[in-house]
Amino acid sequence: MTGLIWKDFMVSKRTVKAYLGIMIFYAAMTVMGMFSVTFVTAFVSVILIMLPISAFAYDEQAKWDRYAMSLPIGRSRVVGARYLFTLLIVLVSLAFALLAGVAVAVTGKGDLMEVLVSALTTLAAGLLIADVLLPLCYKVGPERARPYLYALVFIPALGLFLAYRMGIHIDTSWLDRMAQSSPAAVLGLFSLPLLAALALTFASYLISCRVAAGKEY
Amino acid sequence: MTNCIEIKGLCKSYGDFALKNIDLTLPGGSILGLIGENGAGKTTTIKCILNLIRRDAGEIALLGYDNIKEEQLAKQDIGMVLDECFFHDTLRPRDVGKILAPVYQNWEQGLFRDYLDKFGLPEKKLIKEFSRGMKMKLSLSAALAHRPKLLLLDEATAGLDPVVRDEILDEFLGFIQDEDHAILLSSHITSDLEKVADYIAYIHQGQVVLSDAKDNILDSYGRVGCTAAQLEAIAPADVLRVRKGAFGAEALVADRAAFARKYPMLLVERTTLEDIMLFIGKGEEK
Repeated sequence: MTGLIWKDFMVSKRTVKAYLGIMIFYAAMTVMGMFSVTFVTAFVSVILIMLPISAFAYDEQAKWDRYAMSLPIGRSRVVGARYLFTLLIVLVSLAFALLAGVAVAVTGKGDLMEVLVSALTTLAAGLLIADVLLPLCYKVGPERARPYLYALVFIPALGLFLAYRMGIHIDTSWLDRMAQSSPAAVLGLFSLPLLAALALTFASYLISCRVAAGKEY
Repeated sequence: MTNCIEIKGLCKSYGDFALKNIDLTLPGGSILGLIGENGAGKTTTIKCILNLIRRDAGEIALLGYDNIKEEQLAKQDIGMVLDECFFHDTLRPRDVGKILAPVYQNWEQGLFRDYLDKFGLPEKKLIKEFSRGMKMKLSLSAALAHRPKLLLLDEATAGLDPVVRDEILDEFLGFIQDEDHAILLSSHITSDLEKVADYIAYIHQGQVVLSDAKDNILDSYGRVGCTAAQLEAIAPADVLRVRKGAFGAEALVADRAAFARKYPMLLVERTTLEDIMLFIGKGEEK
């Protein structure tokens, strides 16, 4: 399985390099005070979580799946490798957020907790999207799964916008009250969505295994 | 000696196309050439062997293992080169080695490098810069680096120039020097199979219409060139297929020597696998 995870990192290398340029741009903007660090860490999290989806597109281009399913590792391990790649990406994103948070805390330009909370929330959202999209990619392929990605991102955003326009305001005062709580409590609370998304990842993996087992290559 | 491949009663239906009762046996130390027109069922058969598609009926044993119940055990000793190079363009041969090393228990990185050297493939060059011949050699290097006992090759020599094809065919001949090794080689290039195959199986419209030792086929089958009037005089039971043209007719016979004895006035020549394919694919029964 490690070979397949390595393969995902290798084929994603060029995309990461391309994203790196964008990240450097945003980092520069942040240093100049045009963006907050929380925005950049959230942005990085979302970008990274899209890598497993891109990996499907690269595999489809190379017709890799037929070869991978011919290897002596079984279909569930091929699927498992993609999910482990996704989880490693989550870890990398968290590590990046932690480093960025520590950096801004040390230089006095921001708050570590704020950066971490932002990263945890966006990672949870990103992982949730991956949880839904990965089985769809196995079922219909990355190209036909793409509209579902847009739906997952834009429908909640549109819903919030419409709710706002209709005068429905979500009470966010609890966030202010959270500021009075201990850092551990804040982190604990904001870790919950990510933990829920991780639990869903397992369910998503089982669904993907079932899809892959029934598929003809 | 265990047969490397044993297929019994393999059936697979797609609605408009069906593999019907395929029986194939590949003994160790030999090469089985699988021939047939496009869409005849060669790739479907190989996909069934690799359990990439679900069969409707039949049994497949690979190196003594059931290809579904003991799939992973069987596949540890199988090398495959399918009709395309499945490695991403952005990878390099050395990456392929790193990807496949944890997959195969017997993978030998040194052997993989030896094959890359032997085929003149630069380890650090991007695969997208490789020619088709180089890509097939890379696939073959990857297929051989875990010392497999069985090679499954689906159109592995298609689109390659004669020099590269010859180089690869030599590699196949070297591989089957070991009595435990065998190769299933699906190919349209019948001249390649005439060079290296020990057995031939011809799949036509989802059925095996001819399966025998290559030498038996080439030694016994014959092609008769004659006029339409001469063709009329031949008993239908003495010819397998006929082809009629504006300038004459020709017939495929199963026993060249017997035919020559019975019809001494007609010239019967040795035939080729390509001729046999053309007779069966485009000819008709008398």
